[in-house]
Amino acid sequence: MKVINLIPTLMLTSLIILTLPIITTLLQNNKTNCFLYITKTAVTYAFAISLIPTLLFIQSNQEAYISNWHWMTIHTLKLSMSFKLDFFSLTFMPIALFITWSIMEFSLWYMHSDPHINRFFKYLLLFLITMLILVSANNLLQLFMGWEGVGIMSFLLISWWHGRTDANTAALQAMLYNRIGDMGFIMMMAWFTIHLNSWEFQQIFLTNPKNTTLPLLGLLLASAGKSAQFGLHPWLPSAMEGPTPVSALLHSSTMVMAGVFTLIRFYPLMENNLTIQTSTLCLGAITTLFTAICALTQNDIKKIIALSTSSQLGLMMVTIGINQPQLAFIHMCTHAFFKAMLFLSSGSIIHNLNNEQDIRKMGGLYKTMPITSTAIIIGSLALTGMPFLTGFYSKDPIIETANMSYINTWALLITLIAVSMTASYSTRIIFFALLGQPRYPPLTQVNENNPYLVNPIKRLILGSIFMGFLISMNTIPHTTPQMTMPPHLKFMALAVTLLGFTVATELNNMTHNLMFKQPSRMHTFSTMLGYYPTTTHRVLPYPSLTMSQNLATTIMDSIWLEKMIPKNLTTMQKTAASLVSNQKGLMKLYFLSFLLSITLGLLIAL
Amino acid sequence: MPYIYINIILAFVISLIGTLIYRSHLISSLLCLEGMILSLFTLNALLSLNINFTLSTIVPLILLVFAACEAAVGLALLIIISNTYGLDYVQNLNLLQC
Repeated sequence: MKVINLIPTLMLTSLIILTLPIITTLLQNNKTNCFLYITKTAVTYAFAISLIPTLLFIQSNQEAYISNWHWMTIHTLKLSMSFKLDFFSLTFMPIALFITWSIMEFSLWYMHSDPHINRFFKYLLLFLITMLILVSANNLLQLFMGWEGVGIMSFLLISWWHGRTDANTAALQAMLYNRIGDMGFIMMMAWFTIHLNSWEFQQIFLTNPKNTTLPLLGLLLASAGKSAQFGLHPWLPSAMEGPTPVSALLHSSTMVMAGVFTLIRFYPLMENNLTIQTSTLCLGAITTLFTAICALTQNDIKKIIALSTSSQLGLMMVTIGINQPQLAFIHMCTHAFFKAMLFLSSGSIIHNLNNEQDIRKMGGLYKTMPITSTAIIIGSLALTGMPFLTGFYSKDPIIETANMSYINTWALLITLIAVSMTASYSTRIIFFALLGQPRYPPLTQVNENNPYLVNPIKRLILGSIFMGFLISMNTIPHTTPQMTMPPHLKFMALAVTLLGFTVATELNNMTHNLMFKQPSRMHTFSTMLGYYPTTTHRVLPYPSLTMSQNLATTIMDSIWLEKMIPKNLTTMQKTAASLVSNQKGLMKLYFLSFLLSITLGLLIAL
Repeated sequence: MPYIYINIILAFVISLIGTLIYRSHLISSLLCLEGMILSLFTLNALLSLNINFTLSTIVPLILLVFAACEAAVGLALLIIISNTYGLDYVQNLNLLQC
């Protein structure tokens, strides 16, 4: 029996295992508290089973397409449920499952005192299912279902503590920005229906249309909305209002990857269209620089990590822009590990310091929380691309390829500056949160005794160290990487990172001795997220709302009933009469003259 | 000419003189205007009955309709003058030139 045949079967088994806890909530009430363990175990088993198709794929490079169920045919458009198990989805699914497993175990500690923890786990599981639908979809309709699903679950999870106004505002913000992106997605779907009469990836890539700028622009808009690129980015720092497990799962590893993932899926179309590549490159470069600048002076630890996510997403866009989708994908996978770990350790710090999120009020955790501080240091080193940790195997090839490509120089320079800023804000987090003397109230008890807290972080530490090596050694590159380059370009990434480290360390050490002075203009620009939310959230809706209010009240009442006929007629007549008349109002005289002239006329006639 | 016609035309002429010559109240002019309309209506009705031209029996009705509108307009003018000046004395109309 050929083991290869197990790839479709086991993947479907893994997906079905995930849906079982949802079905149990439909059949009986989920008031039992073993629902949590059922969910966590389901995700664990799904992860274990989904590893087998991945390993089989690594051994045989055999892709699989599953076409299950023919839903309907509308004229000549056939809609069916089909899964595409190629390199991208087979590699991403175990990673997503692994990270969700770790986060669910972490949530058992973090959300322990929450009365609705069963519902929280159900939402996390629903999110995971829709994310996997998105990743494994073979046609655009299924991908769109997953796309909308992750959007809805993001909304529900960000507003988990819905009694807090900021949480509701942030959830609405996420929803609206995603919607703007969805417009681009629907335009792309419409274009493909009109021109290619299909939503299946195979047909789209086979016909290889020539004028793909319009749908790819729509796809770029959709990815910008989902992956928080510049212009549609404010929702990601605001989404930190949700609980930390939500931030770790959605807004660092999986959901914000959906936009980049879809762009990667369309690489056969994008490699022929230089306009879109340049647009993606420039958009990604602007995003990565802008969010790195904003992350430099934030004071909330979750916001720094969120803006760091946005910066890495910009880097992935840059990679797609230089026509290296596989490198972007590998960076996506490795980034998921260390970013989730950074979020989990920040959640550990926050809970242990009694819900303190301001890094100016942390400090001295190096000795009291060894596992968490190890995690933060390893995660930050992996993020900045320390040689031979995870990030190195994805970030360094990106910078090397960018240096050696025929590329927009400005975008390249901006990306390098952003890479050095990555090192700076990571140093800032380490310095303020871990080093120095404690700045939190002395009566807080800090411990890491719970295995639910420690085990996920330990697993993710192992992943952050080894996964880059494992993934890059087991994948076949689609394009030949550049093997020879001048030494100064080879060491460019490392050099800018070290520059960022040293500058940040110097500045942070100087803060021991400085007196606090007023923040400069640049500092305020960076802290206020570039004034982007403050301006656009007011400037754009206000005219629409005032226009609609004025239209609604004036169209019927004021104009049609009052002004259009009565008042207009009165004013017109009054002005006309007063203009042309030169009478003096001597009524009796006029009447008498009338009488006199009639009598005279009659007398003369008769 | 039959006597009745002369009678009604005389009523019309007297109302006309009453419209054109009045002392101080505007409403007396309007009242005489109504008298003119009444005499005209009666004249029209009698005429169409005596000539036996049945198609013209609609003319008094139309005259009545227009008379009603005209009376309404006259009264509206009276009310505006009364609102501005308090009374309908005709000497008010050129007291305040504007």
